[in-house]
Amino acid sequence: MDRTGGKLKRGVAVAVIALVAAAGCGGGGSDDSSDGSGGGGGGGDDTLEVPGEFDTIQAAVDAATPGDLVLVSPGVYREAVSVDTDEIVIRGLDRDETILDGEFERENGIRVVGADGVAVENLTARNYTFNGFFWTGVDGFRGSYLSAIRNGDYGVYAFESVNGVFEHSYASGSPDAGVYVGACYPCNVVIDDVVSEWNGLGYSGTNAGGDLYIVNSVFRDNRVGVVPNVGTYEPCFPQREVTIVGNQVYRNNNGENDVIDFAQLALGNGILLAGALDNVVERNRVWEHDITGIATVPLPEDDPQEVASDNLTECEGDAIPDGVVDVAEAELPDTLLWPAQRNRIVDNVVDTSGLADLAVADLGLSPTPDGGNCLSGNTAGSTAPLDLQAKAPCGGAPAAAGWDDGALDVGALIARDKPPPVPYEDVELPDPGNQPEMPDAATAPARPQTGPPEPPDLGAITVPPRS
Amino acid sequence: MSRSVVAATLAVVALAVAVGAVAVAGGEDRGSAEGGRAGPVDEPNRRFFADGAQFAVECGFSHAARVDPIVWPGLTGRSHRHDFFGATAVSAHSTGADLVGSPTTCRVGADTAAYWAPSLVRDGEPVTPGGMTAYYRVAPGVEPTEVVAYPLGLAAIAGDATGAAPQPSGVVGFGCGRGGPVAATIPACDAGSPLQLRVTFPDCWDGEHLDSPDHRAHLAYSASDGCGGDHAVSLPRLTLVIHYPVTGDPAGLSLASGEPQTAHADFLNGWDERALRREVESCLRRSVVCTIPDSARAAT
Repeated sequence: MDRTGGKLKRGVAVAVIALVAAAGCGGGGSDDSSDGSGGGGGGGDDTLEVPGEFDTIQAAVDAATPGDLVLVSPGVYREAVSVDTDEIVIRGLDRDETILDGEFERENGIRVVGADGVAVENLTARNYTFNGFFWTGVDGFRGSYLSAIRNGDYGVYAFESVNGVFEHSYASGSPDAGVYVGACYPCNVVIDDVVSEWNGLGYSGTNAGGDLYIVNSVFRDNRVGVVPNVGTYEPCFPQREVTIVGNQVYRNNNGENDVIDFAQLALGNGILLAGALDNVVERNRVWEHDITGIATVPLPEDDPQEVASDNLTECEGDAIPDGVVDVAEAELPDTLLWPAQRNRIVDNVVDTSGLADLAVADLGLSPTPDGGNCLSGNTAGSTAPLDLQAKAPCGGAPAAAGWDDGALDVGALIARDKPPPVPYEDVELPDPGNQPEMPDAATAPARPQTGPPEPPDLGAITVPPRS
Repeated sequence: MSRSVVAATLAVVALAVAVGAVAVAGGEDRGSAEGGRAGPVDEPNRRFFADGAQFAVECGFSHAARVDPIVWPGLTGRSHRHDFFGATAVSAHSTGADLVGSPTTCRVGADTAAYWAPSLVRDGEPVTPGGMTAYYRVAPGVEPTEVVAYPLGLAAIAGDATGAAPQPSGVVGFGCGRGGPVAATIPACDAGSPLQLRVTFPDCWDGEHLDSPDHRAHLAYSASDGCGGDHAVSLPRLTLVIHYPVTGDPAGLSLASGEPQTAHADFLNGWDERALRREVESCLRRSVVCTIPDSARAAT
């Protein structure tokens, strides 16, 4: 095949792609591994103390068997912990004083690789070059009472992982997202009571959704707040079906932190549904954004990859929906434009946005100018286009005209000057203060995360107050 | 479409995150040094994530030198010019053991291996590469649980520096940006998708020799049924993706070793042994994606 240049006919690769082993979007593929059954006693339900019995967290983790608790005393642990044993729990006795420190040399504070059900609790991870806490390829995960501060990629991060919980946690100072869930569908993940600030993105989730809830959390002082998004560079696209309820999202205009390349295009937006489908944004309080409070926008993906027409993975994904591009027939464009469609934005309270409290931009990508998105019951001032809730009501037909009135000038927004990234090592981060401690950390039994989490009681959530 | 055009037309968009791409050349080839087995083949490219398990290391450009510690040990100046990535202290005398614990340009500090490839040259002037990403994966047909870490000091060469004939795309090829195929010739790349050289190393070992007189016979490429015969030990499949800040007309581009079809790369394993074993056992043997390199998120 003589194929040169940037425009490449890629559809022909589909058949071959389909033959290749799947990436495994979630399922993990971890068997019941318990390599290292030394000091733990081998029976499960043991407590392995660091530094009492073991000099390092890694040594204790390597000795643990499923059901065991690795209990870590206050101290600074200069190590990077890798976990490959199912259903162990790693817990600090004092969240603020039990600190994993990467010293800008080590990659991940705690990395869980293909080990199902592992829970990490009541710890701080700081100064890692990659991530604070990272689960990949697992079925069952939980991060509770974690603080991830000043890490080079993500704070708290799950990839190709399902059936998980991030709760009561804090993330600051990551150039990518403070909290990230990526490449899962359906995810069965609950993010509850997290605070994410001074990151590139407060929350980011590429190709993640399906029973994925973000509730009762705070996203502030990031470059951009909450951003479900999409790309062919990870499995499980498109992005769809995240439920975002009862969060405080404010002041995401921060130009004094680190940020990955493209995220800073989004500087100054609260909840941004970027090339995202079928998400629900409800009863959030959103304020003080330079650009928009809540918006749906297309996402341009440069240099997209070959695309499989058949499902490759357990995530029921890897398909570009109709209306984006006909992959089987067409050449993939150099830049793929993902529309944001069928998002439901209701009963939020949004104010003090620089351009628009609520915005829908479709750029003519969808059959109707609303992109199938709808907005009702929101308390909001300015919208783009004007009278947006009347033009795109939930349960009603979209207006036929008027979509140019006061529409976002996205080109101008992109073109405006934005502060450059500040290297994450150098950012002056806010003092996280004393973060809430896990109750009864010394005595609570080990509780691995097996099976899907309990969905949050959405009906009980009201619009949170302004803080 | 250039990034500036994207910027001008689109949106408030947060493109985030994670990664991507690089359709990596395949590994169905057999080293021709292996008597009686199939030779290297062309293999259609496939999507990056279709291969599943990997760990990856991004390494900056270290230096260029007319040095080749595998082919011309001890003989500085004897080799054509190479671009080095990884261990910065590599010399014509270096062994794998020398490199352990030494400074590295890699984002993973334990990766003190030496990686090198002939310098890209435009009209006689070397082009400074932007960096290199090393993908460690498992070839199709190889049983993941059988993969073992490279022994310390293993020397490996991929590609044919003599360039007697166009090489299989499963071994070496040039491409543009994150996605797309690779070709034996240097393509004209768009501004948003600059040039890459992708080189895939053999992934079966004889289990005994760290090197061999021709620097190849101790290794072979896996086949659809994995490793076997005289090379029965399964290793990670290492693919280097070298990024160049090169777009547009490829006229005048060649390699320090000669025409584009002389593309090749060398690997001298100087990884911290424990760290490498951990990556192989945790990520590859368990079939998990452990790293999503930044360089795959955007064409750089």
